[in-house]
Amino acid sequence: MNTSQTTRIALYVYGVLIIGFLYLPLVSVGFASISKARYLSFPIRHYSTKWYAEALRSDTVSDLLFTSLKVAVIVTLVSMVVAFFGALAFARYQWRFRSLFQKLILLPIFFPQTVLGLALLMWFNSVGVIPSWKTAVVAHLVWIAPIATLIVAIRAYSFDPALEEAARDMGASTVTILREVTLPLLMPGLVSAGLFAFLLSWGNFPLSLFTTGADSTLPEWLYAKMVSGYSPLVPTLGVMSVVGSFALILLAMSIGWLVRSVREARAG
Amino acid sequence: MTSQPILRLRNVVKTFGSFTALPGVNLDIEEGEFFTIVGPSGSGKSTLIRLLVGMDEVTDGEIWLRDRRIDQTPANQRPTCMVFQSLALFPHMSVGQNVEFPLKLRKVPAEERRARALELLDLLRLPQSYYSKRISQCSGGERQRVALARALAFDPEILFFDEPLSALDYRLRKTLEKELKDLHTRTGKTFVYITHSLEEAMVMSDRIAIMNKGHFEQIAVADEIYGRPVNRFVAEFMGEVNLFDVTGTAGGGLAGAGLESHMNGHAETCGVAMAPGASGTLMVRPEYVRFLASSDTADFTLRGILHGEYALGSRIQYEVETPGGQVITVEKLREDRVDRQPGAEVVLGFDGDHVHLIRGQ
Repeated sequence: MNTSQTTRIALYVYGVLIIGFLYLPLVSVGFASISKARYLSFPIRHYSTKWYAEALRSDTVSDLLFTSLKVAVIVTLVSMVVAFFGALAFARYQWRFRSLFQKLILLPIFFPQTVLGLALLMWFNSVGVIPSWKTAVVAHLVWIAPIATLIVAIRAYSFDPALEEAARDMGASTVTILREVTLPLLMPGLVSAGLFAFLLSWGNFPLSLFTTGADSTLPEWLYAKMVSGYSPLVPTLGVMSVVGSFALILLAMSIGWLVRSVREARAG
Repeated sequence: MTSQPILRLRNVVKTFGSFTALPGVNLDIEEGEFFTIVGPSGSGKSTLIRLLVGMDEVTDGEIWLRDRRIDQTPANQRPTCMVFQSLALFPHMSVGQNVEFPLKLRKVPAEERRARALELLDLLRLPQSYYSKRISQCSGGERQRVALARALAFDPEILFFDEPLSALDYRLRKTLEKELKDLHTRTGKTFVYITHSLEEAMVMSDRIAIMNKGHFEQIAVADEIYGRPVNRFVAEFMGEVNLFDVTGTAGGGLAGAGLESHMNGHAETCGVAMAPGASGTLMVRPEYVRFLASSDTADFTLRGILHGEYALGSRIQYEVETPGGQVITVEKLREDRVDRQPGAEVVLGFDGDHVHLIRGQ
């Protein structure tokens, strides 16, 4: 299709505005993180990386990162397992309560997270569990596992049930079919689901706020520092968190690429 | 084919809830034959083949593979294999890995697997370089061949086919039909094929079963089914056909629907003699109907108005409407094209040797 001159200019303007709207706040936090001053103020007069050095030295920061990482990694792994079997139940098999299951599993996603967090806190209290990072894992899972399930289910919908039947016809047992056919075919969906699970857990604030008890995750600490006693570590940690997430995505992509090229090399 | 059948079905019933898909099927398939089950969609042929390979369980009845009863044996323990309609090639594996899959399940050593896979690629006329190709890099016809190679790698006692050619374009389908027949001859295996296409069935099969509403209307060789269908359903299902409702006349001949009979007593030899007053359906295929000039004679004649002329490639099809409103189809080779304009009054004729009488319908 031919785009006229005016359409093209309009598209450029639109693109620049959208990018600006999305990234300007992030960039300004980036600048704030390399300001020398103790308080957030623009324009920045003196630049320095001292707050990064400070962050890397600080025990508080390493505790925060470790707690957040623990929670996110466990949530990711459990979500992937739950999502794999959940997606098969959701998309692949015909069973009596499937339609009900499909609706019920989506419900937690529509719950406002603050309400869900409070409800879970009350529930933990009433059964006598003391909130800690472990209860936060449970809370995150309630919200994140359904999302992961949905992502894998989309993949499961797109694959031909005849593939599993063909494998069975050629003599494969149920376990072999799962290992040789179902799992490899759902793998791209599982990897995306895992990435989403990690990022959603890593950045989650409302659920963590209610359910971590005495422990604190990175987003919680950032919020606490902003409402009471600003620390220049806030933008620094913000940037570190974004860079970390980005690195994770790159890592996942390169692992995917590696797996593919190994598989092709083996086939060739 | 004097030995015992390789596959025997005895009163096989399949119901889904209150719906009876197969009310009780009996069938014998001989060792080494190419057997095709043809039927319209919803005739139960897909249901039947799923029972035969073990994807679904029979509600009642018995399936015997030689001396072994297999109707309760799960699919992965039956020595049979199916080529699926969608082919069901594993997209995450290479061509070679697909072909080797059944061998890998039997723990055949890698070297031997590879050798067998290359051998099969050869048999299916695929270049050896395809061994490492991805499935997504193969064309429709090549995928067909890969699926066949994989099924043959399994080395099944019976190879089942669930309409694997239906998604291909016409030319490729024609080529593969012939290749499949050729492959059947070369491997000597028993092939059981289901399709809704009569042409496919006629090209490839030793015997054809016509299926309708869960039962077989007729099981016979192609010529028999084409030329001597047992009822209207089979006659109409097997291609273009002209059918006339007829009744026996006092002279031992037959008459009906604008048809004039000039059999002059040889109705007996042509197998169309009828008792006076008995009813039946007279069938003649379009290629046996002739346009008559005023001096020509034929055993049966009828008059009508030429309606249309349609080019079918090598043949021309004509439609002639009789005064009674029946449309008669006539087919001629292109070189025998008739020089008549639409709207012209014509006389059609055909002979007793080319008709078939379906009695009592």
